[in-house]
Amino acid sequence: MAVITVKNLSKSFKVKTKEKGLKGSLKSIIKTKYKIIKAVKNISFSVEKGEMIAFIGPNGAGKSTSIKMMTGILYPDKGSIDILGLNPVKERKKLAYEIGCVFGQKEQLWTHLTPYDNFRFFGAIYDIPNSRVEKKINELKELFELDDFINTPVRNLSLGQRIRCEIVASLIHEPKILFLDEPTIGLDPVVKENIRVLIKRMNKEYKTTVVLTSHDVSDIEKLCKRVIIVNNGSIVLDDTMENLKYHYLNKKIVDAKMKEQVNLDDEDGITILKDKGYNLKIEVDTKKKSVSDALKLLNPDNIIDINISNVPLEQIISDIYKEGDK
Amino acid sequence: MRKYLYIYKSEVMTNLQYIVDILVGFISYCIIIFIFLNLWNYIYSDPSELINGYNMNQMIWYVTITEILWMSISGRKLCRKICNDVRSGNIAYNINKPYNYVEYSLFNHLGVVTIRFVCVFVLGIAMGIIFLRSIPSLNVLQIAGFLLTCLLATVINILLIVAIGLISFFIEDANPFYWLYSKLILVVGTIFPVEFFPGVIQPIIKASPIYVVSYGPARLFVNFETSQFINVIVAQIIYLIISFSICHFIYSKGVKRLNVNGG
Repeated sequence: MAVITVKNLSKSFKVKTKEKGLKGSLKSIIKTKYKIIKAVKNISFSVEKGEMIAFIGPNGAGKSTSIKMMTGILYPDKGSIDILGLNPVKERKKLAYEIGCVFGQKEQLWTHLTPYDNFRFFGAIYDIPNSRVEKKINELKELFELDDFINTPVRNLSLGQRIRCEIVASLIHEPKILFLDEPTIGLDPVVKENIRVLIKRMNKEYKTTVVLTSHDVSDIEKLCKRVIIVNNGSIVLDDTMENLKYHYLNKKIVDAKMKEQVNLDDEDGITILKDKGYNLKIEVDTKKKSVSDALKLLNPDNIIDINISNVPLEQIISDIYKEGDK
Repeated sequence: MRKYLYIYKSEVMTNLQYIVDILVGFISYCIIIFIFLNLWNYIYSDPSELINGYNMNQMIWYVTITEILWMSISGRKLCRKICNDVRSGNIAYNINKPYNYVEYSLFNHLGVVTIRFVCVFVLGIAMGIIFLRSIPSLNVLQIAGFLLTCLLATVINILLIVAIGLISFFIEDANPFYWLYSKLILVVGTIFPVEFFPGVIQPIIKASPIYVVSYGPARLFVNFETSQFINVIVAQIIYLIISFSICHFIYSKGVKRLNVNGG
C-alpha cells in the first residue's frame, strides 16, 4: 500500500536579481527584476508502507523543496501529493499528526529545557494524554539509550546526543512517516553508525516509513533499500539499491603493479585510468569484457601485485548526477 | 488549548534561567522612573495641584504603570524574532507542527512577558511606594479588574507586534514599522496621558491601540471608575478581535509566498 504518492510535482521560486555595482543597486530600487528558478520539475514517485527510501541529490537539486512540499511547508505550483490519503496543502494540520520530521541542520528542541521536558512538550502539542506520553518516553528512552542524559539541558548535550533526542521528539506522537533531512550531518563516524543502527531498529520495531536525505553515501547504503536521485529538479534515477549496485557495479577497477612495462591501449570494455609504466590502473566493463580476459591482456606472469575492486558508490552517484546535468 | 499552555509553560521555564539577566535589564526602568519623578516634582509647584485632571502622585503612578506595561512587553525582541523567522525560513519548522504560528508566537511571548511583568511590577510598585509614600486605593475587585486589563493590553500589544513582524512576508524588513509603532505608543501613550493632548486629537488617540494597550489600564490604576473599566474592557475585546483577525489574514496570505531555500 502506497503511503506517499507524488504526481507531476513542480515548484518554482521567484528570486530577486540585481545588476552589479552601485548603479545596479539604485536601478533595483526603481525597477526590481526577478528570476524564476524551477526548483522541482514534474516529479512523480510513490513510497510503500514501511519502506526506507533515500532521497538524494547534490546541493540545490530540489530534494529539500520536495520534502517541504510533502510535509505541507511549501505550496506546490503544479501536481498532486497524497500522504496517507491526505493533501498536505489543504490538510496540513491533520497531516502534522501523522508525520514526523528531523532536520539535522535545524534544532526543534528547546535548548534550555531537558530532553524529558521537551518530550513532554511534544506530547502536549500533539494532544497525547500524559500517561501515554510517559509510556512512550520510557519506551523510546530504552530504544535510543537516552538514560544518561534525559535530564540534562539540551544545550549541554553533544551533537550526537542531541540528534538522538531530535529523533525521539519526532517519534513521540507515533508518526507513520518520518522525514529525516540529513540526520547525520556533522557527526563523527562512530556516532553516525550508532544513529543508523537506531533508525534501523526504529523502522523494524514500529514499521515507520522513512524518507531520508543525506550526502553521506554510507547512510544511504546501510539504511535504504531504494534510492531516488534528484538533480536539477528532476528525478534522474529511481531504483532499488541492489539494482543500482548491479547496474553500475559491472565496472571493476584493476590496479596492477607490473614486472615489466606493458603497452596497453583503450579498447572496447577497457578504459585506462592511469598508466605509469609499471603501475597500471584500468577500468573493466564486465558486460563487454570479463576480468579474466582483461588480465590476459596484462599477462598474468608479468603481475607482481593486483587489486580488483568495485567502483565506489560515491563515484557511481556523482556520475549519475553528472549524467543528469547533461 | 493544552498545547498552547505547554508552549507558554516551556517559555516561562526557559526564561526562569535568565532571571538575573532580566533583573539587570531593569536598571533602565529605575532610571526612567527616577527621571520622571524629578521632572513632575519640578513641574508641579504643589503636589495637590491638578494638571489636566491629574495630581502629581497620579501622574507619577500613571507613568509607572505605562512603563511597567512597556518594559515587560519586550516588543523589539518579538518583532525581530518574527522577521528573522520569516526571512530565514525558520518559520517552516513551525508550519509542520499541529499548531498555528500566530497562537504559538502569542503564547510563547506571553511566557517571556510573564516573568518580566512580575519582576518589573514588583519593582515599579516598590519604587512608587518608596518615593511617593502612597498608593492609589483599590479594592480587591478593582485590582483584579486592573490586572485583567493589563493582561488584555499585553495580549493585544503582542498580537499587533506579531502582525507587524508578519509583514516581512511581503517586504524585506518590517522593523521600521515596529519602530514607528513603538515610538507612537511610547510618546503618545506612555509618557503623557491622553488628556494632555489637544482636544481635537484626543478622540483619535482614544480610538487607537494606545487607549487599549497603555492608557486604559494605567488610567484605571490611578482613578478606578466602573464605567471607565467597562469602556476599556469593551475596547480591548474589539481590539483583540481586530488584531487577531489581522494576524491571521497576513499569515494566511504570507505563508503562500514563503520561499525556503536549501537544506
